[in-house]
Amino acid sequence: MGFDLFQNLATGFGAAVSLKNLGFALIGCLLGTLIGVLPGIGPIPTIAMLLPITFGLDPLSSLIMLAGIYYGAQYGGSTTSILVNIPGEAASIVTCIDGHQMAKQGRAGAALAVAALGSFFAGCVGTVFIAAFGPPLAAIAQEFNSPDYFSLMVLGLVTAVILAHGSVIKAIGMVLVGLLLGLVGTDVNSGLTRYTFGISELWDGIDFVPLVIGMFGIVEIIRNLERSTLPRAQFSARLKDLWPSRKDFDASWRAVLRGTALGSLLGILPGGGAVLAAFASYTLEKKVAKDPSRFGNGAIEGVAGPESANNAASQTSFIPLLTLGLPSNAIMALMMGAMIIQGIQPGSAVMTKRPDLFWGMVASMWIGNLMLLVINLPLIGIWVRLLSVPYRLLYPAILLFCVIGIYSTNTNIAQLVLCAAFAVFGYVLLRFGCEPAPLVLGFILGPLMEENLRRSLVISRGDPMVFIERPISAILLAATVAVIALIVLPQFRKTREEAFQ
Amino acid sequence: MVRVKSPQDLGAGAVFALIGVAGLYFGRELAFGTAARMGPGYFPTLLSILILAIGIIVAIRGLTTEGPPIEPVQLRPIAMIIAAILIFGVLIGVVGLALTALLLTVFAAYARREVKLTETILLGAGLAAFTVAVFVYLLGQPLPAWWGR
Repeated sequence: MGFDLFQNLATGFGAAVSLKNLGFALIGCLLGTLIGVLPGIGPIPTIAMLLPITFGLDPLSSLIMLAGIYYGAQYGGSTTSILVNIPGEAASIVTCIDGHQMAKQGRAGAALAVAALGSFFAGCVGTVFIAAFGPPLAAIAQEFNSPDYFSLMVLGLVTAVILAHGSVIKAIGMVLVGLLLGLVGTDVNSGLTRYTFGISELWDGIDFVPLVIGMFGIVEIIRNLERSTLPRAQFSARLKDLWPSRKDFDASWRAVLRGTALGSLLGILPGGGAVLAAFASYTLEKKVAKDPSRFGNGAIEGVAGPESANNAASQTSFIPLLTLGLPSNAIMALMMGAMIIQGIQPGSAVMTKRPDLFWGMVASMWIGNLMLLVINLPLIGIWVRLLSVPYRLLYPAILLFCVIGIYSTNTNIAQLVLCAAFAVFGYVLLRFGCEPAPLVLGFILGPLMEENLRRSLVISRGDPMVFIERPISAILLAATVAVIALIVLPQFRKTREEAFQ
Repeated sequence: MVRVKSPQDLGAGAVFALIGVAGLYFGRELAFGTAARMGPGYFPTLLSILILAIGIIVAIRGLTTEGPPIEPVQLRPIAMIIAAILIFGVLIGVVGLALTALLLTVFAAYARREVKLTETILLGAGLAAFTVAVFVYLLGQPLPAWWGR
């Protein structure tokens, strides 16, 4: 096992260290940092709009770049949280609380350094986590049959809904709507078209680039424009003493360890990922602190913990996707889409059939984290200067990149109409308190769920008991019931609300 | 007279119920089949019924449980941004990326009340030059740079 791991990592580094792949990792990290720094655009629309560009790349390069955008955004997001109190990215919201206080007290340098070093450490641990847990999980997944996959997806979707913030029942509704939207197009079994309304552009199904860009990118622009004050940076902190003091180190290394452990675990859970990890870590740090009143007034643990946690989680959230073929959050759904476009079905087969792809990605993440440390610490001045670009100049550019991304996937005006329609749809639903992320998860899983349900019921001749009779499936469904039972418990509800307050 | 306690929930419930009904109505001609031999209508019908049920539950909750109000909708941003997207779609194949990018920038700028026209045109020209250089020439994306191509 230990030797295998070494050999596998060697394969991975061999694949990732080519000049081309290093270049794509760098591009991904730079782009990720950029969008992490800029408020008003997050990793989800960015990855969606860059998908068309990756069509021409080989699978490994494109995944390396897209993954770099995701974890790069976690680094970049912390910079703006600390310096200007604007979270560039959802996972950095909690970093604002204490990070910006530290900046006000003239300790911005220490906060930034601790955030970057903590993130780097967490990223390394997360990468080792993937390398260690990937193969055993994939081995388990090889035993999976259709009923087990169906139950796994049920468990994944239910957990994703419960661990995300917002109303649970509305999120379940959104998942179901997503599943239904995923079925639009030609049914592979009967050859009949479903819900296409005679529009030939829908025969292949709804393209997910216009859907994601419409519901995330465009809605975000509209919402920013509705605010009376546009997101704008007022930067005044000094950056002297970038290196944290001895005292800062002593105060933060335990928080980094706790955040890394918590983030690594929460990242694996469906619905987990960077945002939940950051919130949970902040809550934990406050709980274990000797003097909780320091939090909110510039406690360095409040930066070190969540920043480590969100980065660890953004790494380990690749585990369910790469081993089980189950995307645990909207970004992983996008990565899954990117793999499918490249002709790779995510799941345990990736590791056996394309070890260079799996291990290459793992290796590239470690390399990427090292690059990010360099990109973020010494070059911080450049990123900060970018913040002075006013939003009124930024959003037309974002909009333009979004529509170019959509048009490039399929040079057809129907895609833009679709994007506009989903923007309105997403806008209306958001007004009614429904988040778009669960819909995207359902959308990507819709056809898979139907296919596995169909196969299961064919095997069992229509008997639904098959889901309980197969042990793996039964365990997964029992876990689903347990998760649903949790949400009914008042204690869990309280903790869940606290974690997202 | 029933009082709406949570307008957001009532709205969301109505949207879900509508989608559920639409799913059933537009899927009515798809064969349902049996569990052992699922027809193309089996899973969609199942989902539509669940969506409808959730819609009804959420809507009822909107009448019984207090919740936050719906933020007022501002027409200008959403209308102008949607218009900009559609105009891009109509014009890109006709006049090419350079001019379309400029026009999209102008439309997008009018999503705000205060527009600085000179600044907007300069921004549009800059974005046009950048995107043509990067997307058309550098990345070779399938976009026409100018008309007639």
